[in-house]
Amino acid sequence: MIEVGQNHDSFRQGLVILLPRLKRFADVLIGDKQDGTALLGRALKRMLAEQYRYQRGTPLDRWAFAEIYRLWLHELRDHAEPMRQAKVETGFDLLLYPEELVDDVTPDFLGQLPPQQRSALLLVYGEGFDYEDAGRVLDCSVDAVASRLIRASASLADRLGEGWQVASSATVETLYPKGSQHDRTQ
Amino acid sequence: MTELSDELLVAYVDGQLARAQTKAVEKVLKQDEVIARRVDALKEAHSRFENAFEAILAGELNEITLRADPYVRTTEPVAAQAKGKPIASVVLIAILAALAGYAVPVVLPELTPVRYVLPKQTARLPSSWQDDVARMQSLLTRSSLEVGLTSQGNRDLVGFELAQAIGPSLKVPNLDPQGLKLIRGQLLQYRGKPLGQILYLGTRGAPVALYALPSDRTSEPEFSMAGDVGMVSWSEDGISYLLAAQADEDFLVRTAEKIRHEPLDEIPLPPPPSVSQPTTPTTAESGVTSALPESSSNAPTVSPSPLIAPTSPAPPPPN
Repeated sequence: MIEVGQNHDSFRQGLVILLPRLKRFADVLIGDKQDGTALLGRALKRMLAEQYRYQRGTPLDRWAFAEIYRLWLHELRDHAEPMRQAKVETGFDLLLYPEELVDDVTPDFLGQLPPQQRSALLLVYGEGFDYEDAGRVLDCSVDAVASRLIRASASLADRLGEGWQVASSATVETLYPKGSQHDRTQ
Repeated sequence: MTELSDELLVAYVDGQLARAQTKAVEKVLKQDEVIARRVDALKEAHSRFENAFEAILAGELNEITLRADPYVRTTEPVAAQAKGKPIASVVLIAILAALAGYAVPVVLPELTPVRYVLPKQTARLPSSWQDDVARMQSLLTRSSLEVGLTSQGNRDLVGFELAQAIGPSLKVPNLDPQGLKLIRGQLLQYRGKPLGQILYLGTRGAPVALYALPSDRTSEPEFSMAGDVGMVSWSEDGISYLLAAQADEDFLVRTAEKIRHEPLDEIPLPPPPSVSQPTTPTTAESGVTSALPESSSNAPTVSPSPLIAPTSPAPPPPN
């Protein structure tokens, strides 16, 4: 029969296999490698300590992404300055490797998006999740996921094309639109 | 000019529309240059997002080289040092090495800056045969079984052929009670060893596969997941089995238990022996008669094929 010890090992091994993808998710969510590493470390520690919450049969990657997101949200809510904490302070292009293979526009564009929107883009375009799975990870509806993708895609398309001067909807959703108090303090 | 919202066009680019809607959009695209340009721009945006996320994953793969060993702990943040960001890697590796607690080296992976061949589901860990098989299993679809021209639905024939290569104790279970019909069996190869693949299909859902590989181990069933594929693996009687499918754990574990406890096929009894012919103790105890010739009496007493008796002695079990 299936033994708890063996399952524990499988669970742990599964997380190790997922590490690069989990690290990418944490980095993109926070927008910084060092903070992403720290978040992932805390999340992994929690997952291993509370693995009884994992329901067998659930895809481990979806579950682990959701755990990281939940922890990030929990810590964000407890933070004295949650809005400042959520902002990408450093260049998003530092996450890229090799940097020269990615255009100049996209990293900057991604860095300006709110974390939730970046995460939705990553889950659907980076991980290949369908909208429903992405919604489960981000604890939001399928419509919310679709809405985030549409705003971001349309906005980047505007920026790449002729409509680049038009204020994009993604900018409106950005935490720090140009001219805001936070923007001026930077 | 036709009015199509970005909402619809993004759904089209993402492949989220129904077939009829997709056709309708494509029809418009042929007629409306403005909409076609917008779709091109959205596709370009989609492509750039994908490239950016792939570049980030390439960075993670290039950075994470993890060795967790109880005696030697080394860190090789190759790209991180080159990029002047070693601290994050060292912290990550230290945390994960401690958390993972592996007793054997785990290396994530030999990294090269190849960004177009990045795995979506797994990192390049040293893989077991179960992992490799799970990857192969994920390539199977219902149609790959339904259109087969050379399907072998005969359980006895499949069992006979596979047992020749894998071992006489091979089980080719009857899963009709589970609603799974045997579709075909085939002999694959894994690192020079014969690997049997026996495929079943229910009235709905994904195919279910039973893999068999010669082994000298004995182990109890263990469930694990690789991507969307659930697996139950165990070893018995010189053969390692892996039951794999895109199915839930409960179903797979129950099916594996059924297979484990399924007796080997009974062979139709020969005509009643004459009074003077004593019955051998083996057949008397088991109630099963072997169709194998005398020379193979050391092999298991039951042929895997009750209908097609081998004409030559069964090969010895592989090492």
